[in-house]
Amino acid sequence: MKNIFFFAFLALCIFPSQVNAQEDKPINPTDLFGDIRARHIGPAVMSGRIIDMETHPTNPRIIYAGTAGGGVWKSNDTGATFNPIFEKHAQSIGAIELDPNDPDNTVYVGTGETWTRNSVSYGDGLYKSTDGGVSWKKLGFDKSERIANIIVNPDDSNEVYVAVLGALWSDSDERGVYKSSDAGATWEQILYVNERTGAADMTMDPNDSNTIYVSMWEFRRTAWSFESGGEHSALMKSTDGGKSWNKIHNGFPEGQLGRLAIAVAPSNSDILYTVIEAEQNERKGLYRSDDAGLSWKQLNNDFGITVRPFYFSRITVDPRDPEVVLKGGLSGSISRDGGKTFKNLGNMHSDIHDIVFDINNSDVIYSGTDGGVYRSWNGGTTFEIVENLPLSQFYHISLDDAEPYNIYGGLQDNGSWYGPSSSSGGINAGDWKPIGGGDGFRVLKHPTKNIIYSEMQGAQNVWRYDVDRELVKTIQPLAQEGHAELRFNWNGPMAVSTYQPDRFYMGSQFLHKSEDMGDTWEIISPDLTTNDPSKQQQADSGGLSMDNSGAEKHTTIFTIAESPLDQNVIWVGTDDGNVQVTKDGGKTWTNTVANIQELPKNIWTYHIEASVHGKGTAYAVFDGHNSGDMKPYVYKTTDYGETWTNILTDDIIGTSRNIQEDYENENLLFLGTEFGLYITLDGGDNWGKFTNNVPPVAVHFIDLQKRTNDLVLGTHGRGIIILEDISPLREITPDVLKSKVHFFDAEPMMLSDKQNVFAGSFGAETQFVGQNANTTPQIKYLLPKRHTFGKMILEIQDMDGKVLKTLTPGKSKGINIVNWAGTIRQPHIAKGKTLAFGGFAAPRVAAGTYKAVLKKGKDTFEQTFEIVNDDRSGLSDADRKFKHDVTMKMYDMTEELAYIVYQIDAMIESPNTKSKVKTELNDLKKTLVITTGDNYVGSADPELREKMADLFSKIVGSYDKPSNNEMANLKTIEDRFNTSKVTFEKLKKKVKDVELKSFDTFFKD
Amino acid sequence: MNDHKIYELFTFNNLELNMKTIKLLLVAIAITAFSNVNAQTAEDIVANYFENTGGIDNWKKIEGLKFEANVSQMGMEIPINMIQLKDGRQATVITFQGKEIKQGVFDGETLWSVNFMSMKAEKSDAETTAITKQASIEFPDPFLNYKENGFTIALDGEETVDGTETFKIKLTKKPIIVEGKEEENVVYYFFDKENFVPIATRSEVKSGPSKGKMSENTFSDYQEVEGAGIYFPFSRTMGANIAPDGQAPSITMKTIIINPTVDAAIFSFPEEEAVPATKDN
Repeated sequence: MKNIFFFAFLALCIFPSQVNAQEDKPINPTDLFGDIRARHIGPAVMSGRIIDMETHPTNPRIIYAGTAGGGVWKSNDTGATFNPIFEKHAQSIGAIELDPNDPDNTVYVGTGETWTRNSVSYGDGLYKSTDGGVSWKKLGFDKSERIANIIVNPDDSNEVYVAVLGALWSDSDERGVYKSSDAGATWEQILYVNERTGAADMTMDPNDSNTIYVSMWEFRRTAWSFESGGEHSALMKSTDGGKSWNKIHNGFPEGQLGRLAIAVAPSNSDILYTVIEAEQNERKGLYRSDDAGLSWKQLNNDFGITVRPFYFSRITVDPRDPEVVLKGGLSGSISRDGGKTFKNLGNMHSDIHDIVFDINNSDVIYSGTDGGVYRSWNGGTTFEIVENLPLSQFYHISLDDAEPYNIYGGLQDNGSWYGPSSSSGGINAGDWKPIGGGDGFRVLKHPTKNIIYSEMQGAQNVWRYDVDRELVKTIQPLAQEGHAELRFNWNGPMAVSTYQPDRFYMGSQFLHKSEDMGDTWEIISPDLTTNDPSKQQQADSGGLSMDNSGAEKHTTIFTIAESPLDQNVIWVGTDDGNVQVTKDGGKTWTNTVANIQELPKNIWTYHIEASVHGKGTAYAVFDGHNSGDMKPYVYKTTDYGETWTNILTDDIIGTSRNIQEDYENENLLFLGTEFGLYITLDGGDNWGKFTNNVPPVAVHFIDLQKRTNDLVLGTHGRGIIILEDISPLREITPDVLKSKVHFFDAEPMMLSDKQNVFAGSFGAETQFVGQNANTTPQIKYLLPKRHTFGKMILEIQDMDGKVLKTLTPGKSKGINIVNWAGTIRQPHIAKGKTLAFGGFAAPRVAAGTYKAVLKKGKDTFEQTFEIVNDDRSGLSDADRKFKHDVTMKMYDMTEELAYIVYQIDAMIESPNTKSKVKTELNDLKKTLVITTGDNYVGSADPELREKMADLFSKIVGSYDKPSNNEMANLKTIEDRFNTSKVTFEKLKKKVKDVELKSFDTFFKD
Repeated sequence: MNDHKIYELFTFNNLELNMKTIKLLLVAIAITAFSNVNAQTAEDIVANYFENTGGIDNWKKIEGLKFEANVSQMGMEIPINMIQLKDGRQATVITFQGKEIKQGVFDGETLWSVNFMSMKAEKSDAETTAITKQASIEFPDPFLNYKENGFTIALDGEETVDGTETFKIKLTKKPIIVEGKEEENVVYYFFDKENFVPIATRSEVKSGPSKGKMSENTFSDYQEVEGAGIYFPFSRTMGANIAPDGQAPSITMKTIIINPTVDAAIFSFPEEEAVPATKDN
């Protein structure tokens, strides 16, 4: 004992200050989330954007896909299914490379997409795995933003080249080509041009690892423009492993160049292909060299080859045939004559970013598109989609109050959709319904009618869809006399009202209000933006290739929030940094952004959340990433914007996108950033990153479902992610953390009668199926520390202390959630030759009050809770009681029969039983349980046990009270059982000196 | 040193446990305190684990293990007995409705299970059998004799698991053959920094419909096996992260018997039942 106290004393002496400091230690939510584990529901029906595809050099089963916002996915079955393997790191991927000398284990991933559209995300460096993608280590390049290629020298795995495209929105010197000679431990920048020019494509001569080709690209995006091309774009070649570089432009067009792709034919390394973005349209297109870059000849400038170089710039050459050339594009193009002529690839989702051939068979092609991965088995003529890549890129989501509630949202290049939060057999592709075309953004359900609003880019169409009558009309605000031309954001804001169900808001540079679902519009504000003409020159956007898609439309309203406490209080945020508020329904407006002194000027007001906790309370979320500022900014006001307080801490990383407040606890807030979800329990003093099945994906929008308390994330790359019932988080305080066990408040829990018995799993072998919501009662408690040593059990008891069910308790530090189906244990079943499948049914408890009893070491903790019946199924209390009584009667009968059969077996086995009696016992037994056959089609005819169990299971499994039909059947079974019991008792008297366990002892064993 | 941990030990710890455990925890404090001065190595962590769970000499005396347990899955509790012997022989006996059904029985050469439909014994496929045979050397714990077995261990950083700070140890075993191809055989173990027992593992599923997914198991309720002086986790969960309903199957041990008496007959494949007419050996 002395030693123990000495140790304790010593420990306290060594760290006295920290121990004292502990008293004031803030709540770190990260460790407390415990069993709150997100579920992913996709959808995968339209999948999402793919950036880079990679094959394994020797194993054709293995395919990698790098995605725009959903991480890295690996297939072990030639693309039939994929699994995510990059769940803890930035989800925007630029390039994947397998070490050709160790392809099973060594994998490099460069983060940051390189197809630089307006909505593109960004990465945070280079990663390496040495265990086939199970775990990853970062190799730096923190500021690289986007990595275009990685090449490992096939002759020496220590030599690695990385092409860094670099920052899109700002100057940066972390770009160009880097080389490592120690497998990534240290790096040397071996090619650098300037702060605007990065390495866009890179390849190595397959026959000479010292020969490297790199395309350099001068480019820049702002929130209102894009510029591709300049004097510094170039195609470079090194023949000395990157020590020296030469431009190889012999035959190239004059003037400035834009984005260039480069490919070497694997089967003949003298043959090179490049796609050139040039000043003159006629000189753009595909060029070929037959002398390893000494000279070039233009072959083709079809639309399919020259379209949108910033988005499509990948050339793939058949590994076995240098004349077969594929080019990414709107539809994808294939040439079988060395690049002279092309035809479109077969039908698949548009926007093809990368294409790879199977390593052994050129008929097999994998294509990465804006809508996922496609496979072709016939050389690119027809394609089929991979059905289990839930990569959907939501811009925005909303929820309704149906049961189960639905999720509505719009997707990058994939229209607008809605689908249920739960569905029979899981949420599959067929559960999602399209509700808008083009690029989808905001989708809102009418508050009371079965009407859905959706839109496409730039509010070119805003649809009002009457779901029941299947009627669609467009309702976007049109130009009005006396007002300037309307400027709608690419992702135009809309809002419905909680006060007037037919009210509908939209924002251009003005706030538009309709009181009749969009048939009549009124402008209720002046131009709320900066109206800066220098940010309105989109007709000149694009650089060498004009690109005026509307994606760069700027000085527009981006977010609208009507106060849930006062319909005259409306907040409007603009993409050029204004935070406007009206307190009189739009008569007067105040721009409050100047009251946030420390905020950089004119950065995007991405979201405003009008609070339920105070009329003047709101949160404003700002996004500076399109000026190169990736810091998150969120401010809170309680006085209509007169003063604002920063509520973020320095440990939060990634552009801020959205905030959601809890409706009950003002201090509980949820923040979506470019790198995942953060939660604070204390109003922003401390934030914890939520990682239980939420990867660091861009969380563009968050909503909280009021009835279920489900937190729903609209992610830009991993679809919809749901945290079920966040209500336990409301209760966590420093005091709660001091208790040994804290049970969370339990609302009465319903035993649902709904059943999904006919839910098939058709197609689920290779199709993504979203996880359903839990429907069972749950016991929820908090442990201040993980339970690792000693015994811990959880019992459900009735109020008399009778144990009804033993459950496996959660042991995690923080929140533990234990599901209980509301059933007691299944009855003991008589032992037969085969199994009585009806005997696996477990009856439910009756509605009433029960106890959860947690036994942890010598301590016992209890919580009482209420179980209620499902009132949707129309049973009266008397019906419920009748059902319960019959069920339990059969339960007891079943166990009684089991005990009798046990006794019969014991008597038959005993040497003290006479053989004549044994025969009689055997005869009886044959009528009680099945004694021959198997569990399938070799099954014997059912005996008493099977009949009893089948009826028991039928009654337990039904929502309804036992029917007359069932009761009549029960009577037959009971009669037969009674007769058997009489026979048994007679026989039992003929047996002596057989030791039998009591009923209780037998079942205890 | 993590001050938080010390504080918690004296406020929330499992003081209800026997004094031996307290002693262990205090030793663990001292070791943890030390650890931040001198970096831990994987070897230290594993050595501490064995020291804290009964001592390596005791562990080396284990010739066989019998677990009497309950499996909880989808609301059902299923009693099972598992027997594992040092030479690789093993059996799991599931009791359904009083009937014992053997699964995953290995006699050293043949792996077999009873088919639930026919209730007859059937041999497992050759690859699964080979993997089982290969895993025999891991008895009773893959970290015991890991060097002799040709395994390597490495400290792969630290990670918070179940809200608890852990050392992440990468255990690389000998490659296995799956679907005709050789595959790496790696398991990550997460050792509680406070007391050096593993509380979780993570590994890639190598075959079946979940192939390629990561599976996570957890361990808790470490208790002394009566009379043996060795601590085992009496509760485990399996694959919580890949369970379709998010609820992991779990095993709760009722008793663990070290070096049990076992009738060798239970391991042998019942040839006569499976092929009654034409025995070919």
